[in-house]
Formats: sequence, structure tokens, C-alpha cells
Amino acid sequence: MNGVRIAAVSYDSQAVLKEFAAKFGIGYPLLSDHDSGVIRRFGIFNFNIAPGLRAYGVPHPVNYLVAPDGMVTRKYYVPNYQHRVTASAVVLREFGAVSEDAAQVTLRNGALTVEIGLSSAKAFAGQEISLYAKFSLEPKWHVYGAPVPNTYTSTSITFDDPKIISQSVTLPEARLMEIPVLGETLPVYEGTFQGQGSLLLKFPLDAGRIMLAGRLRFQLCSDTVCEAPEAVAFELPLTIEPFMMPTK
Amino acid sequence: MAYDVPEDLAEKAAIMKEFGRRRAAGEPVPAELYARHVNATNDRYTTGPEPGARIPDFVLPDQNGALRSLPDLTGSNGLLLVFHRSAEW
Repeated sequence: MNGVRIAAVSYDSQAVLKEFAAKFGIGYPLLSDHDSGVIRRFGIFNFNIAPGLRAYGVPHPVNYLVAPDGMVTRKYYVPNYQHRVTASAVVLREFGAVSEDAAQVTLRNGALTVEIGLSSAKAFAGQEISLYAKFSLEPKWHVYGAPVPNTYTSTSITFDDPKIISQSVTLPEARLMEIPVLGETLPVYEGTFQGQGSLLLKFPLDAGRIMLAGRLRFQLCSDTVCEAPEAVAFELPLTIEPFMMPTK
Repeated sequence: MAYDVPEDLAEKAAIMKEFGRRRAAGEPVPAELYARHVNATNDRYTTGPEPGARIPDFVLPDQNGALRSLPDLTGSNGLLLVFHRSAEW
């Protein structure tokens, strides 16, 4: 994974973490900060939670990308805990790696092939997950960036799915290309390129397998001909993990 | 580090208890209660060391009981250190 490893810290006891690691097949270290001493020294102890409550001692959730010498290089946090960035989404954004069992779909349409996938196979309701889209075009064919005149269709991936309450999918900067046969200079994509996005899942969601419904829109043109714009529907599976609240 | 107990700790506790009670009982949670619970939990959210600063040294046991610290946890390009609420809930 590009030389970066993961470790997670919580206030759980070592026994709880051992059971959790076995149950979910977690291979990376789960560190037991049972008296919240390290949480306090990081300055992230959550003082809003009174002693006596089950959650007393938890931190404000934060993820740090730390260099081998201990220096923080990046920090990730979202103040609403229902919208926490998943660790796998961080890995995708920073390192371009995805978990092996994450969902992906490959769409092929003539000169264009697109692989669209999620950063992980599982998520909790209310979390943000990452998406990647790898585009590959045969030589002499292009698709459009934005903005383009309304006679052309720019390239986009959108999710019209009520389970996604917020979305943002971005493509790299397109190249301005003069297209003599059309008499226009337009932003285009050629060859291979990759887009990335983030999807915020609704809360609550029932646990279990869901399908996220999306649509890929594009228009393929060569130097001599334009095809009709396309809107290709696709689905990506995701397993929503049960959200368990403290019972006392 | 200064102990920073909020003045409205008791009120926050009441909100959190009511939220937890309804969830555990399978009762619907009114949007307003949910919002108050989230706001109570995230009040004065602190995030710890900034980019460029060093994290504190630490030694903690992992799930197998081995004591771990940054030098043995880090990869060649670094460590993603995740602080989350609980593995149990």
C-alpha cells in the first residue's frame, strides 16, 4: 500500500479489540488506550461526555497521516461524527489503493472503457466513501470536459439515489483541442485519465447489502464523426454495517 | 493539559441518555433530538496536532497484547493513525 501502514486507537480494552479483530478479520494493529491517556495527550479527549456514560473517555474522531519521524503530514476529521471519512477513503484519496473486495464495474462503449469502483466493500450509514473512475479511450477518440456548448455532452458520473445525500465527482482538467471538422475549440479528454469522487451516505440506513445506482454520461467523438450522447446506468454493491449504539 | 469540563455537562448528558435510550428501545428519534445529540457530542471539537507538528510519543498494547509504538507501526512512507470512538459500539 505504497509504504503507508494503518493503526487504530480506541478506548476499548485489549480483550474487546482482540474479539473485534477476529470477528471482522482485521489484520492491522488495534491499539488499546484503555485509560484514554494517549487520547488526552493528543488533545482530542471529548469532554462533552460525562463520567458514568458508556462513551466517557472517547476521543473526538481524527485521523492523522504521520511521517516515520512522527511529524503530522495531513489530518482528517469531520465534526459531525455521522459523516466521518472512512480510513479506506483516505487511502484511496492519498494513495490510489482500494481494498481487494471493493465493488467495481467496467463499462464498455465502443472506443471508451470506464472502470468505476468504490474505496471499500463495507461502510456505515452516514459515512463518506470514495469513488474512482478510470477512463480509457482508443486513439483518435475523445470525450468532452466542461463547459461545452449545449450541442455537446460533457462527461460526468452522477448518482440519482436517495441513499446518497451528497456527492462530488471530479475529473482532471481537460485539454483544449481545436476540432477543425466542427470549427470549435473544446475541452476534451483523450487516452487514459482518472476521476475521483466522494459520496456521503444517508443516515440511518438498514444494515445489509445495498446497490448504489449511478449514471455515466458522455459523448464520443473522433476527428471525423460524433456519436450520439450516451447515459449508461450502473450499480455498485455496498454492505452497510449495523450501527450499534451503547445500551447503557 | 487543562481539564476543560463544559458548564452544560449535565444537560448534555441528559440529551445523550435520552438519545441512547430511544435507540436501544428501537423508538424513533425525532430529528431535533438527534441534532441536539450530535451537537452536544461534537461541541468544541478539538483535533490535536496540526500538520507540521510532532505527535506525542506513545506505547500501547495491540489486540495481541504486544506493546507498539510509532517506530514499529510505521511503514516506509508513514502511518495512518486513526482515532475512533469504539470497536464495541
